[in-house]
Amino acid sequence: MPIFKTPFNGYSVKFSPFYESRLAVATAQNFGILGNGRVHVLALPPSPSLPLSELVAFDTADGVYDLAWSESHDSLLVAAVADGSVKLFDTALPPTQNPLRSLQEHTREVHSVDYNPTRRDSFITSSWDDTIKLWTLDRPASIRTFKEHAYCVYSAAWNPRHTDVFASASGDCTVRIWDVREPGSTMIIPGHDFEILSCDWNKYDDCLIATASVDKSIRVWDVRSYRAPIAVLNGHGYAVRKVKFSPHHRNLMVSCSYDMTVCMWDFMVEDALVGRYDHHTEFAVGLDMSVLVEGLLASTGWDELVYVWQHGTDPRAS
Amino acid sequence: MEKAINRQRVLLDHLRPSSSSSHNYESSLSASACLAGDSAAYHRTSVYGDDVVIVAAYRTPLCKSKRGGFKDTHADDLLAPVLKAVIEKTNLNPSEVGDIVVGTVLAPGSQRASECRMAAFYAGFPETVPIRTVNRQCSSGLQAVADVAAAIKAGFYDIGIGAGLESMTSNPMAWDGDVNPKVKAFEQAQNCLLPMGVTSENVAHRFGVTRQEQDQAAVESHRKAAAATASGKFKNEIIPVATKVYFIHCFLSKRNSSQVTDGAGAVLLMKKKCGNATFAAVGVDPAIMGIGPAVAIPAAVKAAGLELADIDLFEINEAFASQFVYCRKKLELDPEKINVNGGAMAIGHPLGATGARCVATLLHEMKRRGRDCRFGVVSMCIGTGMGAAAVFERGDAADDLCNARRV
Repeated sequence: MPIFKTPFNGYSVKFSPFYESRLAVATAQNFGILGNGRVHVLALPPSPSLPLSELVAFDTADGVYDLAWSESHDSLLVAAVADGSVKLFDTALPPTQNPLRSLQEHTREVHSVDYNPTRRDSFITSSWDDTIKLWTLDRPASIRTFKEHAYCVYSAAWNPRHTDVFASASGDCTVRIWDVREPGSTMIIPGHDFEILSCDWNKYDDCLIATASVDKSIRVWDVRSYRAPIAVLNGHGYAVRKVKFSPHHRNLMVSCSYDMTVCMWDFMVEDALVGRYDHHTEFAVGLDMSVLVEGLLASTGWDELVYVWQHGTDPRAS
Repeated sequence: MEKAINRQRVLLDHLRPSSSSSHNYESSLSASACLAGDSAAYHRTSVYGDDVVIVAAYRTPLCKSKRGGFKDTHADDLLAPVLKAVIEKTNLNPSEVGDIVVGTVLAPGSQRASECRMAAFYAGFPETVPIRTVNRQCSSGLQAVADVAAAIKAGFYDIGIGAGLESMTSNPMAWDGDVNPKVKAFEQAQNCLLPMGVTSENVAHRFGVTRQEQDQAAVESHRKAAAATASGKFKNEIIPVATKVYFIHCFLSKRNSSQVTDGAGAVLLMKKKCGNATFAAVGVDPAIMGIGPAVAIPAAVKAAGLELADIDLFEINEAFASQFVYCRKKLELDPEKINVNGGAMAIGHPLGATGARCVATLLHEMKRRGRDCRFGVVSMCIGTGMGAAAVFERGDAADDLCNARRV
């Protein structure tokens, strides 16, 4: 299976929504604690026994914690940088002409960025300054700032169906649902007793949301009745860093954790854990499922490796 | 710095949440202060674009001389395959090589130098690539690597090959002609003529290395070499040599000294970013020449700005169990880090090739072990009273100097 070794520690990996063989990786030097960052744009090889090849790379002054591909332009990337800036990169332009823009508004580390898949003109960033900001590609300043969380907001994700709705996961142990047309959050889910590091919407049921927490569990919630979760998925040995619903199967989701594994779950089944991959030798922190190729997974971690593999196969096989 | 401490705290809270409420969180984790202190092993090296790096290292199988697989092989036929391998496996254009330096000890100087030139032609090098030999007895192979590195740093050329070659079948250890009677007046000069085995006994007696310790070291060397061979650990570094025999077998002898051996090795160096090596040669009493590594290793390690504890892997030539055990004990080295795939007692000591062979074995093992294995040392004692050692550093712990643009 194709792999890529990054010089810095991996933080996030995302498949391009336009090209099935293209993906981008966000990395940070010295585990994201101190140093520079780099965004790599990689291409899948024609044969799985070959390594991934790098198309272009962009350097940043601080670590890159997350990135998102634009849904409107096939060569645009948005990067969430640890120095509080949000940077726009154009992969069609050489590194010297990049970044196109650097948006400096967050006062602390920007931890996630998500591009609106339906409206396609806007994206949200979440930060350790407890806020989420809404931006569009053409405006130099944010359109709105959502400030309610009491601690770092680790993740913000657009609802795949409702263009104005998104969810945010925070270290204040809550998930908030927002509608950009409303002044404040529309729902507060006290999902876990410990920090919530990631959230993602189900792609087939717009009322289902999954949360991943420091309490090592993943919970699936129906926002219509969020008093109790629909499912509690245990199995990770340490805090769960990221969770992602499958774009192809309603019940499937993947997660990655500080326990260095990537797990696949079917939350409708009693024995929910349907696959575990332990290819990483350090914290597994970045994860994505391809929308264009069914079953194609990508992961990255602090071991400076990016793996791309088909679900059911061994990521390390050559 | 405040930012870094904060980020660290946020991450630590994911693993060991300091929740104010009395929730049940089973965490077997606890944070501890970094024990590295100021240790050099944890400092990243800044690298300048003109540093020297080792790109490839290969060797032939090593065979018992006179009776082993290479007993009918010409010396130049031992060198040619490794020279060819470092070029083919790195896709290098041979005409880009600035010089080839071959460590070689026992053969008559000019003839061996000619044989090396011929070997280069067999290997496909054009006539425009020069070649020379170097002789510092047992360290010649390592000295060749050091000479090429120094020449690259001096700017004589950008790409070079340091190699080693010995056919103890063709050239057994011997002294031609008579000895100058003057040596009787100079004890140290006279001691240069001591048979190596006698110097080994001297070390054993003077420093109290028991027969049992020597035999134990020999057993360990054979055991590790057998395990390494069986598990295929040498397959990446060994280049096959076509000879009259259908297969080349690694002979293991039941002795606590290295066997006389035929073999060759080659190391490709070039000027590029990342990677580092320091080299030291020292002199010691010829009568106890085996103590060479005990003096050379600290010298090389110090020259590299490190401490012995920073070194993760050693290849110390096992000329004799007595001197090997002495050096290991004197420097208080962890035996688990030394000659992990066996040593000369099992594998053989083709005098001039040993240095290059050890470099190949060391670097391949460091690569297998990954980032944890950052620094390695090759060292040997040298007949007539010297020691040589070189420190090698992995390339990926070095940063190119870079300033990311602030936008």
